[in-house]
Amino acid sequence: MSTLKSILRRVLSSIPVLIGVVLVIYLILRILPGNAILTMMGEHAREEVVAQLSAELGLDKPWYVQFWVYISGLFTGDMGTSIKYHKPVSELLAVYFPVTVKLSCLAALVAWVIGILCGAVSAMRKDKLADRLGMGFSLLGISVPVFMTAMVLQYLFAYKLKWFPLQGTKDGLASYVLPAIALGWSSAGSVARLTRSTLLEVMGADFIDTARSKGRSVSGAVAFHALRNALIPVVTVMAIQISSLLSGAVITETIFSLPGIGRLCIDAISGRDIPLLQGSVVFATVLVIAGNLVADCLYSVLDPRIGKES
Amino acid sequence: MRKHLAVLLAAALFLSLAAVPASAAEGEKVLRLASESDILTMDVALTTDDYFIPHNVFDRLFEIKVQPDGSTDIVPSLVEDYSVSEDGLTYTFRLVEGVTFSNGNPLTAEDVKYTFERLLTVPGGCNYDIAQEVDGADALLNGETDDLAGITVNGDYELSVTLAAPNAGYIAELTSPAMSVVDKETCQSVAAFGMECADTIGSGPYVVSEWVPNDHFTLERNENYWGQVPDADRVIMSVVPDPNTQNLMFQSGELDIIDLDALDSSIIDSVYKTTYADSIVPGYRVGVTFMSMNENNEYLSDVNVRRAIQMSIDRQGLLDNFYGGDGIIENGMIATGVWGHNDDLTPIVYDPEGAKALLAEAGYEPGEISFEFSLDSSGGAATQMVYQQIAQDLAEVGIDAQIRSYDESAWLDFRRTEEMPAFVGTWTMDYNDPANILATFFSNSTSGRSLNYADQAVKDRVDAASAIIDDDERMAEYQAIEEAIVVEDAAVVPLYERAHLFCIGENVASFVPHWAGFSNFFVRDVEMK
Repeated sequence: MSTLKSILRRVLSSIPVLIGVVLVIYLILRILPGNAILTMMGEHAREEVVAQLSAELGLDKPWYVQFWVYISGLFTGDMGTSIKYHKPVSELLAVYFPVTVKLSCLAALVAWVIGILCGAVSAMRKDKLADRLGMGFSLLGISVPVFMTAMVLQYLFAYKLKWFPLQGTKDGLASYVLPAIALGWSSAGSVARLTRSTLLEVMGADFIDTARSKGRSVSGAVAFHALRNALIPVVTVMAIQISSLLSGAVITETIFSLPGIGRLCIDAISGRDIPLLQGSVVFATVLVIAGNLVADCLYSVLDPRIGKES
Repeated sequence: MRKHLAVLLAAALFLSLAAVPASAAEGEKVLRLASESDILTMDVALTTDDYFIPHNVFDRLFEIKVQPDGSTDIVPSLVEDYSVSEDGLTYTFRLVEGVTFSNGNPLTAEDVKYTFERLLTVPGGCNYDIAQEVDGADALLNGETDDLAGITVNGDYELSVTLAAPNAGYIAELTSPAMSVVDKETCQSVAAFGMECADTIGSGPYVVSEWVPNDHFTLERNENYWGQVPDADRVIMSVVPDPNTQNLMFQSGELDIIDLDALDSSIIDSVYKTTYADSIVPGYRVGVTFMSMNENNEYLSDVNVRRAIQMSIDRQGLLDNFYGGDGIIENGMIATGVWGHNDDLTPIVYDPEGAKALLAEAGYEPGEISFEFSLDSSGGAATQMVYQQIAQDLAEVGIDAQIRSYDESAWLDFRRTEEMPAFVGTWTMDYNDPANILATFFSNSTSGRSLNYADQAVKDRVDAASAIIDDDERMAEYQAIEEAIVVEDAAVVPLYERAHLFCIGENVASFVPHWAGFSNFFVRDVEMK
């Protein structure tokens, strides 16, 4: 019951965060030079047409009026109409967002499974070859930029070996494998290093010695006792990584031609399409907030004392 | 229960990931292409960029045909024959009978009239320039009437178009993609023409069967097409924003034609000009890349400064260093391939020492002349390097051109204020007539270009030239105007006309690029193996 209350409290407290994010994005776009209608219509735009379209889209009203209209629309499910695509933002997000969600979920899977495994093995084999290899692998993931990883993977596994498609989504699951690895590797590196260090700390604790004295093997003690305790800070990092996965998706989506929210955001920024950008940002913010909520819930699963304390 | 839920969710995710679209049927000729960006609309009235659909799904009254020697002719398309009144004002067109739209509706003179009217009245329309020349267009634009008085329908297949002022280049203008003829009935019955495939009805060789935003669109042959049946049964245009990915796709056989325009010149030189040398199909972006100089600027208002800038830029160096030498140096604005191009125009000579002397003679100290050189950052790496090289060339003669980068939206906004001091721009011809470029940049109606060309006499001549009925006389006048603009007034620095290279794959037997080098080419000009 207390966990439920805690979740509810977090959901309610995220509403002002959401409004704040929308306001900041809105103000930034207002400050930037450039005009969505001019960008859309190009060099041939007539003054009268620009004025007429501005009035139709409400762009001629003061910024605070436009902002209020947008915010009140959000509560009724109306995210506005994209200036560039002439379509409701919610309709566009429904098309583009699933691609990014699939990519991010798979990338997270890559990051967390590989990261935790790699970190655990490195901790168990501290200063041995497996540790060096694991940490080398994670260092490479952290150091190499996502676009470089993406291009190398694309060249090797799609162009040369032809194991995966070069681009697009037409091949289903296979289309997402290379982008997910490219996107997830960097996060896997951070997760692996953190898992290793926290695990080494936990492995020195008394309860691990107790478990070992009761006959648990090293791997058993790690899997059933140490890892659970070591994962609390790792889960925090994993929640934070959701936002970096979303931002990294912009690059991977471009290289692998995935029609996701990242490319939509770039289009919206370059075209000064305020409703579309706000819609995308609201969605991404909701995802990050949801990620943090899940992390909070996981804390209480990993350590029941946390739920009770709150 | 929790475990079951997790398994179900995971299964749903993977099933949705594994959805695979249908593949090509046996023996079907599929042409696979790629574009860096998606289209925003299929309605040509609302775009001045997205011409792939207009070119391949719609027809126009006239077309431009590329001859084997590379020259171009204007040929009738939807027009059977036509006549022009002696005063050059009224054109009477007799349409080809039996042409139908892809939905089976006959294409009639009413549809042609409606096309003109719609260009002038559709909300958000930006492709109205040619329709605006018709008598009564301004009244329609201003909402004073709902009928375009200058167009009279004389029967199902005949109409007369009366212009507000004579324009001997009007037939050439009617070849523009903007003048794609639409089905009146469809346009009036759908909410947003050009946004849904089923509503995008034209009379051209293809119909749009699928449009997945930012992913791909598909064209299928129009079974009701009245002209010669195109060779490719199906065309798939994938949206592939990364040029390097397009490169890998072509090399692995996933693309049948690649547009080499976006690729780095080092890749073109090392891969395409070696391994695929025999498969390269060259064309030109008929038009000119030029440096614009704002005559409202303190220094650029001085013809000596502008002339010195013309003499300071190593144009051949720009073409060789950043575009692999693929192009032609242009001395004027009526570029190679444009009707009326003048090979004998006084050439601009690269002479930095002469430029220094000219500036000293005009009383300028080295470093005294300084202006902003505004860059649209969406132009790509090669454009940025061109800016840097020009700034360096100018620095060597003591002119400080300070590069400032803007994103596309901000750049367009700034240029529209008429205060942008200098920039490099490219104009690719919409139709093959010198009026297309000269009237756009050097007429009395020029606005929003940040050029502020000040020679009133020349601007009046540009406006008057379109009324000269005799073609030879008109071209001679345009050439004289060009000489005045580029040589006498040194108003711009013509740089080059870039080649536009394509490479064809094993499935393509032949391909003729668009006459003006548009990336949005005509698929009917592709022959498959």
